[in-house]
Amino acid sequence: MLRQWSVQASGEPEPEPAGEELWEQEMERRCSSQEPVRLLPYAMVDKRFIRQLREPEGVKTSCWQQWRHRQQTAGRRLGEAARRLARGCGLWEGALYEIGGLFGTGIQSYFTFLRFLLLLNLLTLLLTTSFVLLPLTWLRPPDRGPALNFTLQCPGGHQPQTGVPKFNNLLWNVLTGRAFNNTYLFYGAYRAGPESSSVYSIRLAYLLSPLACLLLCFCGILRRMVKGLPQKMFLGQDYRSPLSAKVFSSWDFCIQGQEAATIKKHEISNEFKVELEEGRHLLMVQHQTRAQRACHLLTYLRVNILIGLLVVGAISAIFWATKYSQDNKEESLFLLLQYLPPGVIALVNFLGPLLFVFLVQLENYPPNTEVNLTLIWCVVLKLASLGMFSFSLGQTLLCFGRNKTSCESYGYNACDYQCWENSVGEELYKLSIFNFLLTVAFTFLVSLPRRLLVERFSGRFWAWLDREEFLLPKNVLDIVEGQTVTWMGLFYCPLLPLLNSIFVFLTFYIKKYTLLRNSRASPRPFRASSSIFFFQLVLILGLLLAAVPLGYVVSSLVLTVCVSQSQASARAIRGLRKQLVWQVQEKWHLVDDLSRLMSEPGSGDSLGPASPHSRGSRPRSFCPGFPCPGSPGPRASRPEPSLEDPNGLRGVRVPARSCRFPSGSEL
Amino acid sequence: MGGSGSRLSKELLVEYQDLTFLTKQEILLAHRWFCELLPQEHRSVEESLQARVSLEQILSLPELKRLIALHRAAVKIAMQSAWPSACNTANPFKERICRVFSTSPTRDSLSFEDFLDLLSVFSDTATPDIKSHYAFRIFDFDDDGTLNREDLSQLVNCLTGEGEDTRLSASEMKQLIDNILEESDIDRDGTINLSEFQHVISRSPDFASSFKIVL
Repeated sequence: MLRQWSVQASGEPEPEPAGEELWEQEMERRCSSQEPVRLLPYAMVDKRFIRQLREPEGVKTSCWQQWRHRQQTAGRRLGEAARRLARGCGLWEGALYEIGGLFGTGIQSYFTFLRFLLLLNLLTLLLTTSFVLLPLTWLRPPDRGPALNFTLQCPGGHQPQTGVPKFNNLLWNVLTGRAFNNTYLFYGAYRAGPESSSVYSIRLAYLLSPLACLLLCFCGILRRMVKGLPQKMFLGQDYRSPLSAKVFSSWDFCIQGQEAATIKKHEISNEFKVELEEGRHLLMVQHQTRAQRACHLLTYLRVNILIGLLVVGAISAIFWATKYSQDNKEESLFLLLQYLPPGVIALVNFLGPLLFVFLVQLENYPPNTEVNLTLIWCVVLKLASLGMFSFSLGQTLLCFGRNKTSCESYGYNACDYQCWENSVGEELYKLSIFNFLLTVAFTFLVSLPRRLLVERFSGRFWAWLDREEFLLPKNVLDIVEGQTVTWMGLFYCPLLPLLNSIFVFLTFYIKKYTLLRNSRASPRPFRASSSIFFFQLVLILGLLLAAVPLGYVVSSLVLTVCVSQSQASARAIRGLRKQLVWQVQEKWHLVDDLSRLMSEPGSGDSLGPASPHSRGSRPRSFCPGFPCPGSPGPRASRPEPSLEDPNGLRGVRVPARSCRFPSGSEL
Repeated sequence: MGGSGSRLSKELLVEYQDLTFLTKQEILLAHRWFCELLPQEHRSVEESLQARVSLEQILSLPELKRLIALHRAAVKIAMQSAWPSACNTANPFKERICRVFSTSPTRDSLSFEDFLDLLSVFSDTATPDIKSHYAFRIFDFDDDGTLNREDLSQLVNCLTGEGEDTRLSASEMKQLIDNILEESDIDRDGTINLSEFQHVISRSPDFASSFKIVL
């Protein structure tokens, strides 16, 4: 038996004497090598035989070898347990097995991706809770009291919001986030006492924890992405895995059931046909004349420019929608306007891909190019719409690139928003909820009736309509959008990962239900490896997009701290100098007065203190919660600014006082 | 299923763990599956180790119960009574797999240890090396140690099925096989041998995840 197979393994059937020699060489090699017996490609009886040859019965394994063997087994078991833990503690293993068996590993990878996202969110939540929430409740800092009162010249007679909503319906409040305004969900509730009272700086922890979470997520995603890459991809000349490798690894041995096997065979057949067509097309392209090539390039450009214009139009629609919604916050169509930006984003992302597919199919591209082009533009549209949404929020709240007078004093639109961080948090909260509700609505109000109708009626129309196709890229983009919104909101809404975890958990079951009951498998092949790589790539792009506004806010705060500290010391020195000059001047005046008194009575001069200007160039906040490191700290709890206040506020009506002698505590 | 008499002994378990990539639970599960195929009176440990199950018997097992019904709450029930998909009627390579792993002279029946070998090669922890070795043997339809044009053409037919709309036309088949040979046949002898096969497989990241049975 062994002889026969070793001959086969060597690759050629040899005549007997040479075969004998080969077999003996093989046996010698196997016996003397140190590799574990299980790695040998032989049957069990032969492995046992080789093991006996290596360690004859008489030799007892020493204690050292036994101990080493035990260590190796223990190490292997530990490695297996760690792998199981990293994959999610065996969560949903049964469901994943079922889906993989029925639909193949391509669609199974989407559900594995969902599990991975759930883990990421829970990890983020753990980090935030342990570094910010728990110390906050443990240290229990004193309440800072109500928000600062201030008067401000607001155009149009707008008074700053006092936070009392006009519509007090509970459901509306939950859906818009106002019900949670003073809970730990939003930024506003995180209060901390004076810095020196504790060793642990909660402010710093709050500032750094979103960054740490993003960094951790980035590392996790990168690691998973690299695992999915073909190993020798960059060593070879072409960057695709060769056709022969695809042929040999195309059958999925996890499949069970006749239907699934038939679907898989369809998929494989389609894939081969597409690959062959691509090959023929490539051959044809190589034989094109220069004019034909130029023409081809022009049509390529034309399609891309057209789609680019569509994308630009779409995101400007989002911009206007956000602005309109923010400008008309207290109108009568309250809820509709509140949810206008998420609605427009969803509409754009629904119509966009349909238009792209239509336009791309007008040109006659090879199928792979079609799919890739459509996919790339869908990703661009999705990320651009989120980016534009955050930019337009920033413009409304923080006055980017606009010179609105209400923004000049505090660096943000304090007329309309007393606590801008809460507003941003609310917007992201609404977007997150809307996405989830849309998923649920689509499943139960569109897919389910469609399936029922198709099953009930028979006719050409219903046969053409058929059940919904389970489109993998669309589902992946939706879930990545939700995750990007969560990451964007880490600073403003620290418990948003908790919300997103719940949504992802429920999405798993909803999507599983849709897949098993309401859909049919897509005939388009989607390889597991490229799909994992694609998912992780889009996720990383989403993470980078979310990191940009977060980085801007954090850096501006850090900059304010540094700048204000150096300004503070500079101002302190200037103040001391002024004080010195003033004292000298006072004394001189006293001398003057005395001399005048000696001659005639006169009135004393009054010196008004000149309040130094300090321009608020970075957004600060009157949020009841945390003082951002640059915002008015506990020292400035008095309503009037003092001479030496480093956070002096321009534009605030200061009751004029005379002869104010700066006290030592203000320095 | 047998009673306590069908439990494998500890030494045997340790030996099997040493010689395969399977864990203890997987070996016990495999033994339970195997015993289901044997007639009731022959399910003791000794007899199960000696018994051989023919290919027809394996293939005539009732089709795996469909896991599609949502009311079947515990998938575990299905898993415990499932036969691994390698020998399922749905698998186009079922005969080749049974033939490759069989150690009987006529190569048409599997013993319990052959079955363990099969599961070990298809398990998660098996090295890509051993997987590619066995994949080569499975795809070698005429058992001559190389993959020639007939082997490749039979392989593609297995993959695409026999339906009218899925099978490739003669010209497509020729183009496909020409492409494969051009990419993989390094020594230009018209056939693919084991090392060329392993070299090609190493450039595919999908292979390890598709050449797998989850227990």
